[in-house]
Amino acid sequence: MTKLTRRIVIVGGGSAGWLTAGILAAEHSVSSDSGVQITLVESPDVNPIGVGEGTWPSMRHTLQKMGLSETDFVRECDAAFKQASRFDRWVTGENNDSYYHPFTPPHGFGEVNLASQWRALAPDQPFAEVVSHQPHLCAYGLAPKQITAPEWAAVANYAYHLDAGKFGQFLQKHCVEKLGVKHILDHVKGVKSADNGDIESLLTEAHGAIEGDLYIDCTGFSSLLLGQHFGVPFISLKDSLFCDTALAMQVPYPEPDSPVASVTISTAQEAGWIWDIGLPTRRGTGYVYSSSHTSDDEAESVLRHYLQDFDGNARKIPINPGHRELFWHRNCVAVGISAGFIEPLEASALALIELSAAMIRDELPVSREAMEIVSERYNERFRYRWDRIIDFLKLHYVLSQRSDSDFWLDNRKPETIPGHLLRLLELWRYRPPSRRDFHELEEIFPASSYWYVLYGMGFEQADVDQKRSDDPMLARQFFEENAGMTEKYIRGLPSNRQLIEHMVKHGIYKI
Amino acid sequence: MPNIQLLNNVDHKNLRVITDRSAEYGDNQWFAPTFAHEFRNLQSHYPIVFTKNPETGQFQAVALLGFEVDENLYLTDEGWDAMYIPLSIVRQPFLIGFQQNNEEGVTSVEPVISVNMDSPRISETQGEPVFLEHGGNSEYLEQINSLLKIVHEGHERNQDFVDMLLGMDLLESFVLDVELNDGSEHRMSGFYTINETSLRGLTGDDLVILNNNGYLEAVYMAIASLANISTLVEKKNRKMGL
Repeated sequence: MTKLTRRIVIVGGGSAGWLTAGILAAEHSVSSDSGVQITLVESPDVNPIGVGEGTWPSMRHTLQKMGLSETDFVRECDAAFKQASRFDRWVTGENNDSYYHPFTPPHGFGEVNLASQWRALAPDQPFAEVVSHQPHLCAYGLAPKQITAPEWAAVANYAYHLDAGKFGQFLQKHCVEKLGVKHILDHVKGVKSADNGDIESLLTEAHGAIEGDLYIDCTGFSSLLLGQHFGVPFISLKDSLFCDTALAMQVPYPEPDSPVASVTISTAQEAGWIWDIGLPTRRGTGYVYSSSHTSDDEAESVLRHYLQDFDGNARKIPINPGHRELFWHRNCVAVGISAGFIEPLEASALALIELSAAMIRDELPVSREAMEIVSERYNERFRYRWDRIIDFLKLHYVLSQRSDSDFWLDNRKPETIPGHLLRLLELWRYRPPSRRDFHELEEIFPASSYWYVLYGMGFEQADVDQKRSDDPMLARQFFEENAGMTEKYIRGLPSNRQLIEHMVKHGIYKI
Repeated sequence: MPNIQLLNNVDHKNLRVITDRSAEYGDNQWFAPTFAHEFRNLQSHYPIVFTKNPETGQFQAVALLGFEVDENLYLTDEGWDAMYIPLSIVRQPFLIGFQQNNEEGVTSVEPVISVNMDSPRISETQGEPVFLEHGGNSEYLEQINSLLKIVHEGHERNQDFVDMLLGMDLLESFVLDVELNDGSEHRMSGFYTINETSLRGLTGDDLVILNNNGYLEAVYMAIASLANISTLVEKKNRKMGL
């Protein structure tokens, strides 16, 4: 009989390792002998990177499916609610230059050409504010639901900001205590190959050889199995996305009850951009910059200036933008930073881990023969996803009108722009992005995300033809409905901090 | 803030309370908070459902009186059209307040009767006298006193009741779709009711715990009470002349 992949060995215990373990273990019956066995080996003295403090809305479903409680999650991971990204000073660099990319698609999206009607009916108002209630909720610092809403349910679509270190521990506890994941604290000091070139076992210091049928490499930048052992080449993205260094700093709130922003704020700077993420207990900030366009000292002074001369410790994190040529090779698949890393402009890191683990989960158990097919499909799909992430991040730079530094000028040089994106931009000069421009079932950035960035950044689109379906009355109705919803939500929703504090103090119900 | 005062026979010696049932006295509530031990009395008249208190986020049981804010379909020109009125309505304008006592160095918190002096029921000329001429309690006040105790005890146990229901997976959300005689459809959400599938699947131990706490009866009363939704719809049809 064909041998099936039942013994899964995950190496590395950061967010990537534990998220993957949880996603697999929640689906597969680890307790039965015929089920899939999951072991996570983690070095006792490696500090997880702790990047990726922002999630996508998909995280709600991911955690719920693991059988977690949202109340516990908020309490133990120092989590807060996130409803959008806000981009400041990306277009002109002026102080009043700001736009939103909310998680809720435009109201009436796909029903009528909202873009041409927005230009016709409400050209003076920002696009996102005309078609979505969420920028308004963010501006008021409001939560995405009331205290009476059940766990994981949303009034306004939301994701989280969280403490990545605590998140890893939280998942670990659940994986080990509830989901039957075996946890081994040990150093992996070598890899033993089988005759066919697969990994046969991992050699550890104290636990001898650990055997598995499938090895998941979650070892971060070191990419121990896929990169170091198999030597799968790394494809650098530095020619397209220049940011290669991050300088992170945690900032306390002035008061214990200071508002918690329900939006990730990204403020463009001369050689990159600063992220600003609100947790209940502190802000997480950092400057992501191109070391070819500025110096570390200059970068640090830019970050301190942004933080109004706050005197904290800055931690420098080198990032090597790019990904592996293959993600799944033989009986080894890399998930997380070991597969690739890119500046966190749209918080794609954790979302990619969720998608990776979900595809692995859905294909298990698999025979060794079928694994060739699975890995080929996996590589194809994730290469597509990486390409779309690169397109979408680059879009933010391509549409900028800033010319105050070489960083911005270089970013608009055609040779730095992926051809796929250039072709789409040419099409979009005459029509809005369509769902049919993106054909994957689980498209990483849907067409509506492109709308928010294009129209948020003042992309010039010609209204070449009034179509029968472009009904101004219908568009007006959607705009009015959005305004009505906005008003209703502003009246009915608590502040982001109120909801968090209620959950911490009293919890909310599952139903 | 409403003007809540500790009831006493000096400040309130001339106090009278209007006990007529009408919207002008604040009876136009579309639901009345209740508690497990009142379910038996309510169940033949009102649908009993659970909802979350928007102020606290906590579950509470309520008797439904209407389908929208300010609509009490049991109110008629002749008063309240049901044999039993929920205690949380009858107790108005009185409520339980808490007083700190200090006896021989030992502090204790004691429930005491308070009165909402902003209530439209407050009068000195009409209604039931609260105190007798020489300061003694009127029979009306004695009644209020005993029903406030029942209400207070009921609400004290509410958390326990709700926790037990949730722990046994006995609550589920439901959407009330109401169709009136004119064909118009109205949807009410945010309500919870007893999950009958879970109830039927309860094992011996859980049933005994529910029963010993007096909650098993309440659970069945709540289920039976849902028959009154059609009564409520009928009242709504009549009110709209349909």
